[in-house]
Amino acid sequence: MLPLFDAFARTNAASAPRVSGGACRPHHAPRARAVIFLYMDGGPSHVDTFDHKPRLQADDGKPWTRPKARTQFQDDGNILGSPWRFHQRGQSGLFISELFPHLAQSADRLCVVNSMVADFSEHTNANYFLHTGHGLQGRPSAGAWASYGLGCETENLPAFVVLNGGLIPPGGIDCFGNGFLPAHSQGSLFRMRGEPLANVTAREERDRQRQKLDLLSALDAITLQESGSADAIAAAIHNQELAFRMQAAVPDLFDLATEPAAVRTRYGVDDPYEPTRTYAQQCLLARRLVERGVRFVEVLCPDTGHDRWDQHSNLKKGLADNCRMVDQPIAALLEDLAARGMLDDTLVVYSGEFGRTPFAQGKNGRDHNPFGFTSWLAGGGTAGGTRYGATDDYGYATVADPFTIHDLHATMLHLLGIDHERFTFRFGGRDIRLTDVYGKVPRALLG
Amino acid sequence: MRMPSPLPRARAAMVSLALAVPAAAQMDANFEQRLQHWAWQPLRDTPTPQVAAPSHVADPLDAFVLSRLEQDGLQPAPPAPPEVWLRRVHFDLTGLPPRPQDVAAFAADSSRAQRERVVDALLASPHFGERWARHWLDLVRYAESMGHEFDFRIPNAWRYRDYVIRALNDDVPFDQFGKEHLAGDLLPTPRVDAASQRNESVLGTGFYWFCEQTHSPVDAEQHRADRIDNQIDVLTKSFLGVTVACARCHDHKFDAIGNEDYYALYGFLKSSRYVQQPLHRQDQSAVQRALAAHRALAGSCPENGEPLDASLAGYRSVGDEDNVSPLRAAFVHEVLQDEVRLRYLPGTWLSTAAIARERDCVLLSPTFVPTTKFLHLEVAGHGARVQLVVDGFHLVRDPIYGRLRAAIDNQEPHWITIELEQFRARSMHLQFLDQRAHDLADPAHDRGTYPDDAWCAVRRVVASEDRTPPPLVGPAVVTSLARSDAAVAEALRQWQHATAALAPCATAPGMADATGEDERVFERGDHKTKGAVARRRFLRAIAGSAPMDVQEGSGRLQLAERVFADDNPLPPRVLVNRLWHHLFGRGLARTVDNLGHLGDEPLHKDLLDHLARAFVASGWSQKHMIRRIVLSTTYAMDSRGEPVSEERDPDNLLWHRQNLRRLEGEVVRDALLAIADRLDPTLFGPPVPVRFPKEERARGRPEASGPVDGDGRRSIYLAVPRNFLPDLLVAFDLPRPFSTVGARTSANVPAQALALQNDPLVHSMARLAADHLLQDGIRDDDSAIERWFVAMFARAPSNDERAVCRTFLHDMRRDLGCDATDPRPYTDLAHVLWNKKEFVYLR
Repeated sequence: MLPLFDAFARTNAASAPRVSGGACRPHHAPRARAVIFLYMDGGPSHVDTFDHKPRLQADDGKPWTRPKARTQFQDDGNILGSPWRFHQRGQSGLFISELFPHLAQSADRLCVVNSMVADFSEHTNANYFLHTGHGLQGRPSAGAWASYGLGCETENLPAFVVLNGGLIPPGGIDCFGNGFLPAHSQGSLFRMRGEPLANVTAREERDRQRQKLDLLSALDAITLQESGSADAIAAAIHNQELAFRMQAAVPDLFDLATEPAAVRTRYGVDDPYEPTRTYAQQCLLARRLVERGVRFVEVLCPDTGHDRWDQHSNLKKGLADNCRMVDQPIAALLEDLAARGMLDDTLVVYSGEFGRTPFAQGKNGRDHNPFGFTSWLAGGGTAGGTRYGATDDYGYATVADPFTIHDLHATMLHLLGIDHERFTFRFGGRDIRLTDVYGKVPRALLG
Repeated sequence: MRMPSPLPRARAAMVSLALAVPAAAQMDANFEQRLQHWAWQPLRDTPTPQVAAPSHVADPLDAFVLSRLEQDGLQPAPPAPPEVWLRRVHFDLTGLPPRPQDVAAFAADSSRAQRERVVDALLASPHFGERWARHWLDLVRYAESMGHEFDFRIPNAWRYRDYVIRALNDDVPFDQFGKEHLAGDLLPTPRVDAASQRNESVLGTGFYWFCEQTHSPVDAEQHRADRIDNQIDVLTKSFLGVTVACARCHDHKFDAIGNEDYYALYGFLKSSRYVQQPLHRQDQSAVQRALAAHRALAGSCPENGEPLDASLAGYRSVGDEDNVSPLRAAFVHEVLQDEVRLRYLPGTWLSTAAIARERDCVLLSPTFVPTTKFLHLEVAGHGARVQLVVDGFHLVRDPIYGRLRAAIDNQEPHWITIELEQFRARSMHLQFLDQRAHDLADPAHDRGTYPDDAWCAVRRVVASEDRTPPPLVGPAVVTSLARSDAAVAEALRQWQHATAALAPCATAPGMADATGEDERVFERGDHKTKGAVARRRFLRAIAGSAPMDVQEGSGRLQLAERVFADDNPLPPRVLVNRLWHHLFGRGLARTVDNLGHLGDEPLHKDLLDHLARAFVASGWSQKHMIRRIVLSTTYAMDSRGEPVSEERDPDNLLWHRQNLRRLEGEVVRDALLAIADRLDPTLFGPPVPVRFPKEERARGRPEASGPVDGDGRRSIYLAVPRNFLPDLLVAFDLPRPFSTVGARTSANVPAQALALQNDPLVHSMARLAADHLLQDGIRDDDSAIERWFVAMFARAPSNDERAVCRTFLHDMRRDLGCDATDPRPYTDLAHVLWNKKEFVYLR
């Protein structure tokens, strides 16, 4: 039961007064305090959004003649030019397609990585890999690692919050699990409808409840003494206290009426398109969570009725609707964070588990493509208005500066002040890292 | 100390694109090598090891565990205190806490003989089946609705749940139980419940149908492929502990399971159909009497001798088969005050009223592929339905499929015309139903019921390019027999007497055979590109690659026999590993649903095989095996290990101690009810509706919200609407019913604390417990504290615990300004004790 955590320097309580529950102290000065992970479930097409390929347009409809790996459906068609136009944006001149008109205005805040590489072509494995650095179930999620290592800057909310817009990705809630890390580091899912969390509403007066909890703490302390090495029981006790405070903190968090109307409108909380409204609320909540000291916020997508970002067919409508859902809320999030001075120490990450093929699946779809795709980072010490790495002239495979999922994790940890090679947890006789034995942090990404 | 090899990594290369080699090409070369994997090997017979401390060995299994500990220099933990063992074994076997009298008796005598008595009593308790059925339901992704947009109900699903409870309580041999799942509808001598004459075996086949089903899929064949994929997945994980569904698109990446294996199994399922299976076998002498009496009443009408139309060849009935006959005469239509009305249909009809209109059944056509634009059905009937099931898709509803169904509600011969449109040239079958079991295709099924006296008859099915049907046969003729006629009265009496002796028409979801068909291998899993025929057979790794000789129908019975044949080591090995998992919190092989290459290789393979062999030798008796395990020294160890062992094996891989385990949500809820004396011990029956927050609105949600306390019924009887699972149980890791889950996660999240703090059920049970306390005349705090510690933790409170509880009660009374007769302080105390971590953990 008792995991031997062999993390780097142990916390000296005096050195990190604001932090609760962290197992370690930063290795170097952190650039980011918190992470907002905008997870694009299903594998968004990069060649229609952030990876501009004129050649793809030029050869639209021609047969694909280069070598290629098996795709998931093996229903490969001809080269499929993007139905959308790209324009250079901002001072930096980054190419962004017309699917992201709002975000394009924040181009200079983006650090676009065009050379992403993942290991898996199947959603579930790829989801586990993106979240945990390992393609199978059971490893801790990146958010759990960050929470385990750095703790939380609020005592009223969990360190790792997942905002469930409606779609739980393939692989399920294990994508947000704590694996072998202590249970309190796992992601807590907040619903966007009804009671955000079941039973978060207290059914008795707070004083009376407090009195009862005090008795409970006394009794549990006795149990803990007797059962000895019971991490599970210790975590359950931790949850009890957290639950008590969450009863007040969660309703307060979700009370978006306290936001000025202009802010709500900017995010798209009143948008006519329902998925945009939901995603706008999620982005606004993400900011509020970070404001309150939550370490890691993951934002899951609402349902647009197109099976996530998984456009095996119906690319035009499906991708357009998905982009419509996220474009305005994300742009508003970046500008809002910047206006509040929070973007400097909040890392925003946009990524799917893989990208999509430049050749068609059937007529109007694209299959999975882990060999080259695009993610972007913003804030938190990243270099805005830059582009890193490149795929070939069709956007199929990475040809310059490959950036793996391990590299993404290493970079996230680095910005949080953690050296990924020294951040380990002993399990099953091995010192395990989020980045396994891989991972690098390219200087070019850092601002 | 040897540790298990690190998890194999499914790590695709960082691709050299030109070199990517399809795994399929490698299968034949790899097969023999893959077959060397431990799980495919026969059950090994290892002699019980010698150990240095034989006094530790209460069962041979202890010797296997201890010898490994001795080898590695680890110390086994001491025995758990008697009250810890008692609480553990009660929860493990029945899912309920020991009663105060159980605790007292065991405190007086915790000898070996007493332990045996305790275990035997628990195994004989009807609550044993309730507890262990829930484990089994996790494997078959049990749910009572089909999910997706509207979460349509699966009619009578709960009867399968009751079947599992009974089978466990009766300790039905596991191989029999397994065969009933695969082919219970086809067993030559089904298992029949002596008292009720219920056919138990056929209920097993319900497990196939707890799958998700889409509302109006655009591609019914794709939908069938997904559904069969889930059925194969559940079947092979549950009974074989291998993941055959990984071979849908290509050979398994790691195991000796080929793409062809998958499609060889696919054929069995493609050749089978969803039906509501009748549960009662009829007493044939009563049937003969009923038929004779019916003839005596109705046989006077003219017969025209017309043969049954060739278009009805191969039709079969499921349900009350004796009630279906080619009808060449009249049938009893109505019994009135003074007369018996007969209805005569001219011509020869396949009808469902050979004995009586009140009897239920379904008429099924063979599978066919129409090439014409129209199907014309010449029918008559009342309260009946006909549906065209395309590619095995039974939810024949709007928007896409609604045109393929019709009501038969006209007692005169008439034509029903179905325009096939895009369904032309698809594989399909017709079903005519007059049963009162709800019908997946019927929009009325979600709210209504059917008349008891439904009937239908069909004379011809005509495939035609012409929208206009052929001419009708003449009208029905209704005649009367006077009941004043003594012969009529006597025949009527005989008929009523005989039909009353027939069993009722209860049904449950199950399988029926269809026209036998092999499937072709789908290239890369795509049904639109079909390759070579994969003839039906079991896995090559067990049974070789020769196809089965299936003469007729699906061949599921042959498959069932092959799966549970002596030379297949997987079912007994998988099953005993599951029992170990439930009694220790982790299997000997940790990945209980996957013993394949990606699963964990157990450190105690000899022990696993030893138990599997003993299990088969005992006649596949689960109770026998559970009894052995819970009476072992290994099971009885404390969950706190010796320091030296904790240091070297903190994860308890070598079983030097018991594991600390969290109770499942169902058990937590049941224990609350039991301690508050609100538990209704009634067994079986339709589910109790789940409670929903009032403000929550969602498509497909059940109309009625259930009572807070679920009528006091055990959690296994709560409804399982797939899209609306109860929050309390979900917080405590009730698995989503999507596939086999042999090992639930045991998450530790604030949601659990919130549930125990704020769920209305917890509050109301605390109040109830306090009320009972006062009703029993308890007025002093020490007695109250003592009583609840015993009820909740099976032990007396320590002095420290007593002191803090006493102070709490005192302070509460002071704050509330009340005396010892006020239930509120006691309510609060009960609530606090339920939140004490000891309550939800098994030490």
